[in-house]
Amino acid sequence: MLRVTQTKNTLLDGATIAEDLYTTPKDCEECFDSLELPGKNPTKLCPRSTFVRAGVLTTVRGSAYMEYGNTKVLAIVAPPHELMRASARRMNMGVINCFVNFAAFATGELESVPEREKHLGSMLTKALEPVVCRTEFLNFQLDIRVLILDDDGCLLSTAINCCGVALVECGISTYDLITASSACIYRDNVFLNPSAKEEELLRKHRGGHALAGSDNSNPTAALQEHGLITTASMDTFEQVAQCQQAGYLSPATYVKLLDYTLTINKSLRQIIRRVLTARVKEQHELDVREKAESALEDQRLAEIIERLKQQGLDEFIQTNIKEDPFVKR
Amino acid sequence: MAYVALSEAEKTFILHGVEEDFRCDGRSRRDYRPMELETALVSNASGSARLRLANTDILVGIKTEIDVPDPLTPEFGKLEFFVDCSANATPEFEGRGGSDLAQELVLALENAYESPLAFDYRTLCLIPGQQCWKLYIDILILECGGNLHDAVSLAAKAALHNTKLPRVTASLLDAGVTDLIISDNPYDCTRLTIDTVPLLVTVCKIGDYCLVDPSAEEEVCSTVSIVVSVSMRNGEAFLSGSHMTGGGAMHRDTMRNCLDLGLSIGEQLNTVLAKMLKQEEERVGPKRPKTVGFLK
Repeated sequence: MLRVTQTKNTLLDGATIAEDLYTTPKDCEECFDSLELPGKNPTKLCPRSTFVRAGVLTTVRGSAYMEYGNTKVLAIVAPPHELMRASARRMNMGVINCFVNFAAFATGELESVPEREKHLGSMLTKALEPVVCRTEFLNFQLDIRVLILDDDGCLLSTAINCCGVALVECGISTYDLITASSACIYRDNVFLNPSAKEEELLRKHRGGHALAGSDNSNPTAALQEHGLITTASMDTFEQVAQCQQAGYLSPATYVKLLDYTLTINKSLRQIIRRVLTARVKEQHELDVREKAESALEDQRLAEIIERLKQQGLDEFIQTNIKEDPFVKR
Repeated sequence: MAYVALSEAEKTFILHGVEEDFRCDGRSRRDYRPMELETALVSNASGSARLRLANTDILVGIKTEIDVPDPLTPEFGKLEFFVDCSANATPEFEGRGGSDLAQELVLALENAYESPLAFDYRTLCLIPGQQCWKLYIDILILECGGNLHDAVSLAAKAALHNTKLPRVTASLLDAGVTDLIISDNPYDCTRLTIDTVPLLVTVCKIGDYCLVDPSAEEEVCSTVSIVVSVSMRNGEAFLSGSHMTGGGAMHRDTMRNCLDLGLSIGEQLNTVLAKMLKQEEERVGPKRPKTVGFLK
């Protein structure tokens, strides 16, 4: 195949225009240089600062909001309803449908949004299928909607975490709590919970730099692995619910990244557990207060009935008529 | 996945067979069903392949087009996958029934081919930053007999091997506009190297055991499967994408076993495919006899 490397343009007085064409990959280099490099073996295996709240919306039964660093995600679970498409029916299982939507202002690059929505939706469905007791809503479908308000990486894992909380809030039976996290490797640096910048570098640039080591002329040069792993796990029985990987990894690196994410999942589980317990407590207090209020109401009613019995109907009505101060007789 | 109704007794039978390492069709857990592979049978496509894996029938056609490369990757060409689940495969696919499955296959393939180490996008480059080849890989599922991921990836790889890109010469015109001259001679063409092109291997967990190449019935019995994309580079197997599917979960150690099984099977599959493609080429050569009716 013929390759022309264009260097000079006669009309532009010999100036090169080729350089202009190559500015964007250079931007990637600059972007990479601006990153804080975590090195080959990260020491601190912990999640980002996390905020989770269950039951943020009053209109739906199960909702949850989660902030994972700067990533903000809202998940909504509606109670199961009858299957829309008969062809989707499974013999002894309910069907889960996940829909992921980006808010218009969630991300900078809008071109790839529909594609990413599809991909995230499909992966989210796969991750949540193992955790939901699907045998309980046979011939029904469970719709889960995720709205991404702000994208700063780790979208899939944050969405899984958030949906896990929303499922519990909605009262859907689950086998376990599900937690997820991601890790990626790029130019020998392991980024845990990669930010949007790091993910974009990985995806868009597609390890263009990684090719440096893959030239056939120099097979001894080390291969530049690159890739992203998102793992969802249920830790009571140490089950991996989903492990999605993209990029190019050797099996050893794959297992290394998998172990990192599993460790992060364990600490995330503590956080989510705490949030859910707090939520149950809060709900319990509300219930107790409501009960007390309704008891009070019952008591008042009982008193009135008692008076009615004693006084007789006519007298009771007479005593209870109050003059309207604004209406003059 | 295409859906087969099985009774509990049938499921138990299959499960016991897997435990004994002697499956319903006499295979062991590491065996594939017989495959039939043919290339260059669609005359209107630049490359094509048809793969029949027992009951699974896949036809892949590759069309080429000249496109402008992405500014971020000026030296890379483009690939686009499209899967069509024809209604012949199973009645379930009628209307929009197959779209979910098609989408799943497209996503799996896109994920596997994403890395430039898995598929060398630079071979599709014509003029860096200006012109590149775009390959449309159209996959038609003619019959659905289980293990679609593996079959589709094998057929896609064979079709890529078969793809002939016409030789292109460029002449520089005024104002930096380049004019491409595409060779008229059908034999004057370039081929793609497919050494590192990934293959998908579905490792299926039935009972306590992992197996490869599940039939449609076995797919119904499986609790979970992991789709591993294996790419060979310098004699070593690399993972170029993987995900779990099937609605179950597994332990980390089980997952490692599945992964190892998938990698070793992928390696073997890769060698066999390369050998077969070479053999076919030697046997048939460029002057292949005119075939009539490829659906035998």
